[in-house]
Amino acid sequence: MKEYYEFFCPVKMVVGHKALDHIPYELDSLGAKHPMFITDQGVVSAGLLKHVENAFKNSGMIIGPVFDEVPADSSLTVVNQLASLYQDQSCDSIIAIGGGSVIDTAKGVNIVVSEQATDLMKFTGAGALKKPLKPFIVIPTTAGTGSEVTLVAVIADHEKDQKMLFTSYFLLPNLAVLDSRMTLTLPPHLTAATGMDALTHAVEAYSCLGKNPLSDAYAFQAIGLISQHLIPVTKNPQDKERRLQMAQASTMAGIAFSNSMVGLVHTLGHTIGAICHVPHGMAMSILLPFVLEYNLKNDPSGDYQQNISQLLLPLLGDEVYASTKHEYRADKVITYIKRMKEQLYQLTKMPRTLKETGKVEEAQLEEIAQASLGDASITYNPVEVEFKEALAVLKSAY
Amino acid sequence: MKIRYYQKKPGSKVFKTQYVKIMCFFVGRALAAVSKVDQEVKEEIATLPEGFTFMLKILPYGPSLAVTYQQKRLRYEGGNYPEEQADVVIMIKNIEAAFLLFTFQEGTALAFCRDRMAVKGDLTTAMAIVRCLNIVETYLLPKFLAKKALKRYPEWNFFRKHLGRIVIYFRTLTGI
Repeated sequence: MKEYYEFFCPVKMVVGHKALDHIPYELDSLGAKHPMFITDQGVVSAGLLKHVENAFKNSGMIIGPVFDEVPADSSLTVVNQLASLYQDQSCDSIIAIGGGSVIDTAKGVNIVVSEQATDLMKFTGAGALKKPLKPFIVIPTTAGTGSEVTLVAVIADHEKDQKMLFTSYFLLPNLAVLDSRMTLTLPPHLTAATGMDALTHAVEAYSCLGKNPLSDAYAFQAIGLISQHLIPVTKNPQDKERRLQMAQASTMAGIAFSNSMVGLVHTLGHTIGAICHVPHGMAMSILLPFVLEYNLKNDPSGDYQQNISQLLLPLLGDEVYASTKHEYRADKVITYIKRMKEQLYQLTKMPRTLKETGKVEEAQLEEIAQASLGDASITYNPVEVEFKEALAVLKSAY
Repeated sequence: MKIRYYQKKPGSKVFKTQYVKIMCFFVGRALAAVSKVDQEVKEEIATLPEGFTFMLKILPYGPSLAVTYQQKRLRYEGGNYPEEQADVVIMIKNIEAAFLLFTFQEGTALAFCRDRMAVKGDLTTAMAIVRCLNIVETYLLPKFLAKKALKRYPEWNFFRKHLGRIVIYFRTLTGI
């Protein structure tokens, strides 16, 4: 048997109601006492930073420096400026509070301060980091990207209008804190988009070429939680218990895809985001069922059908799974995902097609298809994809 | 009390190492050949900067192959190119993983997905080179072997598949 895989997740999870209050203890365990706080205006205006500040009462630790103006899509300039601030203030650790952009920015800052460099550009690509970074804690405020458990950071260089990818096991934080309060104020449309992002991570982790038994376990569980809780929490955003379940699902999906990678949905979605600026979660939601259909139709081995069929169990439960004939299960999975999209559209007006986003022109589809072939994630898709096939999937999603 | 212990030299896997070394030579030469002949490869490498060097190396000490992009073609640099001068390095983690790859028991994409390789440098460019390697495998290998190595065996016309193969083999063997 020639199968081989690697699985790595050293991130400590601190999960539950009032989990934030454990941060001073955990910082002390890491030998840190002067963290820099990195966040954005969305977190501040939602009142979430207050919860974190309150968690430091009685700790004796100074709160700050606090930087609360991380832009969407992160920024190379901001990373380099924050690194200077970190050095000037003699910080010894970093706490990131926010979504994917904040977390990626914080990862970038950690690279620069730990390597004692002045410019992040020297560390692009994979294999550039050679030693552990400074203590790093992440408090996610969305239930979608899974960035708290991934070894990747994407930072935009706005001057050159390009996105840079950093990949290293050393980028993984020491600690991820999932507190039910931190996603309570997430608006319904973001709840929907980030939830579907998490679902896509889990489905692709379960069905692509890098799948392995350990990532499968996380992906399977994540899909079950998302299926149970995403629609209800979108209808009732103040449900703390469901918010915590979705946060856990997102982290589990993040662990899964970080260890088995993703496929064509992300290949196309990354490019649509870069060219048309469609938000990532929205693009994932739109593309997921169409990519599933393409892969199912074109996989000669039958493995993909087998894998997708198994997902009917966490999605719709044991009774539906048992009563559905094997050859129809994969189609039922796709139908259910389309139904989820429709329900989320009714609740939040989240676009169901690329055209509905209002940001993608049909004339751009060829450019998107061509550019997507350069995305590394295409390697992990179980079915070969060339330009004309990528274009066909985009047209069906249009 | 004296503790009894021993040390020994690790030895080497001579046959597998030599086989992989020979395959690296042919693949390097073949990459240079397809860059002169195949239109798809020419388009893949067209965006590379002049002087860009790609290296495939078997850890910890080789064998390896390196190609440099010069004047719209890839030039084979041999098996002793200094790693620190390469822009992108695909490192196969050990000789066993390399042997699986070069005996086509595991395809390039699957080997990548199974973490048999690590990449140093820009991932997007590494993917372009992997696609060129897939084309090299299609030219060099008979269909029944190439199908094992690739996700999907491409549908090429007669001229590309057969005449192209003759030209690639000729250029690979002669280095022209």
